[in-house]
Amino acid sequence: MLRRTILGALAWFAVLVPSRSFSAHRTPSPPNAEAYIIWPPDGAVLTGGKLWVRMGLRNMGVCPKGIDMPNVGHHHLLIDTDLPPFDQEIPSDRQHLHYGAGETDARIELPPGKHTLQLLLGDFNHVPHDPPIYSKKITITMR
Amino acid sequence: MNKHCAAAAIAASLMFGTAFAGPTPAPADAYAYIGYPNNGQVLPAGKPFRVWFGLRNMGVAPHGVNYPNTGHHHLLIDTDLPPFDQGIPSDRQHLHFGAGETETTLELPPGTHTLQLLMGDYNHVPHNPPVYSKKITIYVK
Repeated sequence: MLRRTILGALAWFAVLVPSRSFSAHRTPSPPNAEAYIIWPPDGAVLTGGKLWVRMGLRNMGVCPKGIDMPNVGHHHLLIDTDLPPFDQEIPSDRQHLHYGAGETDARIELPPGKHTLQLLLGDFNHVPHDPPIYSKKITITMR
Repeated sequence: MNKHCAAAAIAASLMFGTAFAGPTPAPADAYAYIGYPNNGQVLPAGKPFRVWFGLRNMGVAPHGVNYPNTGHHHLLIDTDLPPFDQGIPSDRQHLHFGAGETETTLELPPGTHTLQLLMGDYNHVPHNPPVYSKKITIYVK
């Protein structure tokens, strides 16, 4: 009986604790911080495959990864994918491009077709802030 | 002979480096530009406007952060480029964005104005080679 209670308590902990402990480690973002894609505009039709994506950030600063400072982060560009979980590191793959050297312009290449682009800011550890700072998801067409 | 030439070249580059630019190297293809407003743009007086700081092949880092191939933006208003071998002045014509900002909002009195970006290293000194944008002219009416 006692064991069952303990196990039950542990099970509850397992359910409750991860999100709480992670959110405790998440870096706070300043109020009014806003990420947005300056270019290309939503609905743009582009040719040539390659483009520069201009990454915009308001009321917050850009800083390379690994440096724990207040009110900064670095850009991640999500291509053809939804937002990842906010309580863990942003994946690093071809759909989640990291700009950990403080880049604010990204050179990318896309195959012909419709694509979505979205920005998500990561803290010094690549974890989204609390609250998370992400842009509107835009759709562009590559011809 | 070749050795002497090489030594002279190194000495010259060292002298050039110390005399005309700061100690922090910048990537050769680094490129700063003003994303907005456009050169020659007419802006309404009495209305703040946004200035976009563009940077390619280099990253942004707050002041005091010594990270390779990064710097922070300085916006020069109605003034020429300062000397490259010392800290960029901090006044109303040389705005520092040492928190890693990549845009700002400005309001300027009616008239013709120039805007230019100049990157500073963690110490506010321009890089070697210095990274600065084209100087643009805007008209506030």
